[in-house]
Amino acid sequence: MSAVVTGVGMAVEGLADPDDLLHPLTGDDSGFDPKVALTGRGMRHKDRASRLALVAAADALTDAGLLTDGTYAGCGDRTAVVVSTNFGNLDSVCSFADTIAGEGVVGLSPLGLPHTSSNSVAGWVAIEHHLRGPNLTVCNGASSGLDALFWAQLMIEAGRADATVVVGVEPGTGAVARLLDGARSLDGAAAVVVESVPHRRARGAAPRAVIADFRRGTPTSATARPVGLRMDPDGGVDLAGRFGECSGALGVLQCVAGVGYLDAGGAGDVLATAGRDPATSMLLTLPGRAS
Amino acid sequence: MSWDITGLGAVASVGTDPGEIFDALCAGRTGLAKLRAFDLSRYRAHYAYEIDDRPGPGHDEPLRATRWLLTAVEQALAEAEPVPGPRIAVLVGTTLREQRSVELWWRGDSDIDQDRLHFGPALAQRFGFEHTYTFANACAAGLYALGMAADLLDGGLADAVVVAGTDSVTESAFGTLDRVQNRVPEALRPFDRARAGMLMGEGAAAVVLRPSGERPALARLRAVSMNCDAHHPTAPDRHSIAAAMREAHERAGLGPGDVDVVMLHGSGTELNDAAEAAALGAVFGPHQSRPLLTAVKSATGHTLGGSGLLSLVTAVHALRRGVVPPIAGLSDPIDELRDMRPVRDRAAPAPLRTAQVNAFGFGGINAVAVLESAR
Repeated sequence: MSAVVTGVGMAVEGLADPDDLLHPLTGDDSGFDPKVALTGRGMRHKDRASRLALVAAADALTDAGLLTDGTYAGCGDRTAVVVSTNFGNLDSVCSFADTIAGEGVVGLSPLGLPHTSSNSVAGWVAIEHHLRGPNLTVCNGASSGLDALFWAQLMIEAGRADATVVVGVEPGTGAVARLLDGARSLDGAAAVVVESVPHRRARGAAPRAVIADFRRGTPTSATARPVGLRMDPDGGVDLAGRFGECSGALGVLQCVAGVGYLDAGGAGDVLATAGRDPATSMLLTLPGRAS
Repeated sequence: MSWDITGLGAVASVGTDPGEIFDALCAGRTGLAKLRAFDLSRYRAHYAYEIDDRPGPGHDEPLRATRWLLTAVEQALAEAEPVPGPRIAVLVGTTLREQRSVELWWRGDSDIDQDRLHFGPALAQRFGFEHTYTFANACAAGLYALGMAADLLDGGLADAVVVAGTDSVTESAFGTLDRVQNRVPEALRPFDRARAGMLMGEGAAAVVLRPSGERPALARLRAVSMNCDAHHPTAPDRHSIAAAMREAHERAGLGPGDVDVVMLHGSGTELNDAAEAAALGAVFGPHQSRPLLTAVKSATGHTLGGSGLLSLVTAVHALRRGVVPPIAGLSDPIDELRDMRPVRDRAAPAPLRTAQVNAFGFGGINAVAVLESAR
């Protein structure tokens, strides 16, 4: 396996680090506060999904040791971005349709143009850190987050990038609430840095986890180690049960939780399945000598 | 390294399959018409290149992008028979997914299921495919999906990949573009001095891609490059476009002097056409008078996520027939094309071996494919 996870990040209200995904919050106030973190100059003219994604991506890059004083320390030409989101720009689409029905196109803001396309989040993340490698947006339903990690890994293995920032994000907007008939849903983002082994070694970054298996159609088989952390609706840690529908953010959030578990010395492998699409699953393991 | 293209499919305003579309392009026919379903009084621009398949004038219906996708995939699979199963992946590139269905639901005109925003469920239902992926990669989506498909085959993770792209016009995207463009185009006229901007089109395209082998192929894919400007959310960057072209040539193991025809992105906006032509000039240098240049969007409109694949399907026909369709509506080319060979007025017969296909999109994403004749 030639790719490893070297950093994780989040933007979920009240949560400070990956461990918070696995345990009840302790009540301190060091966690992410969207009212503060999603404002400021760099956040202007961006939709909610993009702002959440920017926070999570910066958090993961920092964790991976790839941000120095806010500047990307890797090679931008060799760094890819993969974003998973299903509802990211629905608020823009719906509000623009309302404006057109009311005032016509003269009522629209020209600044809304990027958000008509479903890939605007990935564009903003690339611009923020000057990441000029392949830039992919996966909008693939319930399995989207795990799919994004799979494609990020394939980009590394195919030699298209040395590092990939993977972001899963869903905004808690009015359009999403109506689409889900008022069911609870995540308003947040998770991010993971996937890196080639030679690149990780060259800069001396610690390997945190290996994506050991990804399956569509059949459940992941166990490796030599037993599964120590299971994340699916039927057993173990159920992130959707805690945060509501996580949709395109789920798989990336599961990966962050899994890395938190392994970081803390958790025994066994980590198995995540894709919520309403249980046929898609991913196995995370502790990095071995080859990683 | 190369991969075989063994099946093609496409639907657009100018034709219902790749052959019909190619004939229309060669004859200079276009799909330009007045907007069919939107309330004209709400817009400055009144023209588009829509597929005329709605239930009645002034009425829209959901899931049209899904319908064309299934048609294009069905055509490609039929031509590619037999496709080895069960390890077939389907990669769909799109700019807007089923956002038109979202608008119709939001405005109270129809219902929606959140799982129909992407195309997996429809592909599973019609063809039984399980390994389906929807990539929302703006107007480079089709070629991005093609590049990911090539990587998937190289990794031994699939025996064949159906690569497709589809989009229908949405009010939010058509309207915001209309708001932003300085002028109000009545036609899309790539690389013409009088171009007034982009107009959207509708359609889908599909190809079946397999590892290279002894079987007959329609054409061979030699390389796909992908990158990102990381510069501006909607404005192009010619340096990054040039880098994508150079990388595609390098991956294909050839130089600009080997390219016989370039399928330009040619979206007809002031900035995009200028940036694309400048990048072409920088990359091709002394060879810039060699390749024939063409572009399909003045005939089909900008079919967004599927547009790169529609250009690629057109390129396969051009390679096989030895003829390059003209750029419809190009009467006064921009200065940047001065020393180049845009095909004008009528189709140009030529011996063709290598084709380059460009696709660029919002988010500053660029993809360039290189094809080779299978003969």
